[in-house]
Amino acid sequence: MTEATDLASRAGDRDPRVGLRAVAALRRLLEQLEAVQVRSARVQGWSWQEIAAELGVSRQAVHKKHGRN
Amino acid sequence: MFERFTDSARGVVYGAIEHSRQAGDACVEEEHMLAALLDAEGTRTSVALAALGFVAGRDEIERGLARARRRGGVSQADEAALADLGIDVGEIVARVEQTHGEGALVPARRTRRLWPFGGGRTGHVPFTPGAKRVLEQSLRETIERGQRHIGDEHILLALTAGPGLVADLLAEYGVTHTTVLKALAPRAQAS
Repeated sequence: MTEATDLASRAGDRDPRVGLRAVAALRRLLEQLEAVQVRSARVQGWSWQEIAAELGVSRQAVHKKHGRN
Repeated sequence: MFERFTDSARGVVYGAIEHSRQAGDACVEEEHMLAALLDAEGTRTSVALAALGFVAGRDEIERGLARARRRGGVSQADEAALADLGIDVGEIVARVEQTHGEGALVPARRTRRLWPFGGGRTGHVPFTPGAKRVLEQSLRETIERGQRHIGDEHILLALTAGPGLVADLLAEYGVTHTTVLKALAPRAQAS
């Protein structure tokens, strides 16, 4: 990494907008990743209870969120 | 609030509803508002966009939106911010698609139900929270400039005020809240 890009990237770290944007985008991406994995588990015959246990949430929560898919 | 809209701003709202219908979407989204804004000719929006050298066609905008959707709704600016954290969105998408198929991360959209007897076509089309926010922001843009009427240019300003995919996409073409305001400046002072 050249000095210039290194500096630019470190400056970026300090700009709250970049960090906050990354968090918001990651959250959005995470939602889609969860949807993909839950769908895949359902296709493979997993119960809502089993999926909920792996995700560390209640069966009701996961069913309410993904039940329509 | 709608009584404060100029004819051209009303045209954008009706155009957005029509775009949503044509796409078979359940709701009016920000991208439908952008599509309606780009349709109009001889408006303050089209003059401002021309002044900014914005020449992207609908197809190009559609491609940009499709690209972001395939990444789970992550824009290029989002990707850059995530790359700062060492997260390679392209790599994540490639691996997920390898296992789960192309377009696996595309956010699910509610589509319009096609009721028999055409009820779905004549029914009320709701606006998404994001699209509602744009309408509210367009009023705020108007008030901030001490103007009475909400014009199509205020809808453009509201869209660029973000956050969201449409604002990010426009920014890739140099169309931001700041540049639009600058492009509108001579007219804004005249009215």
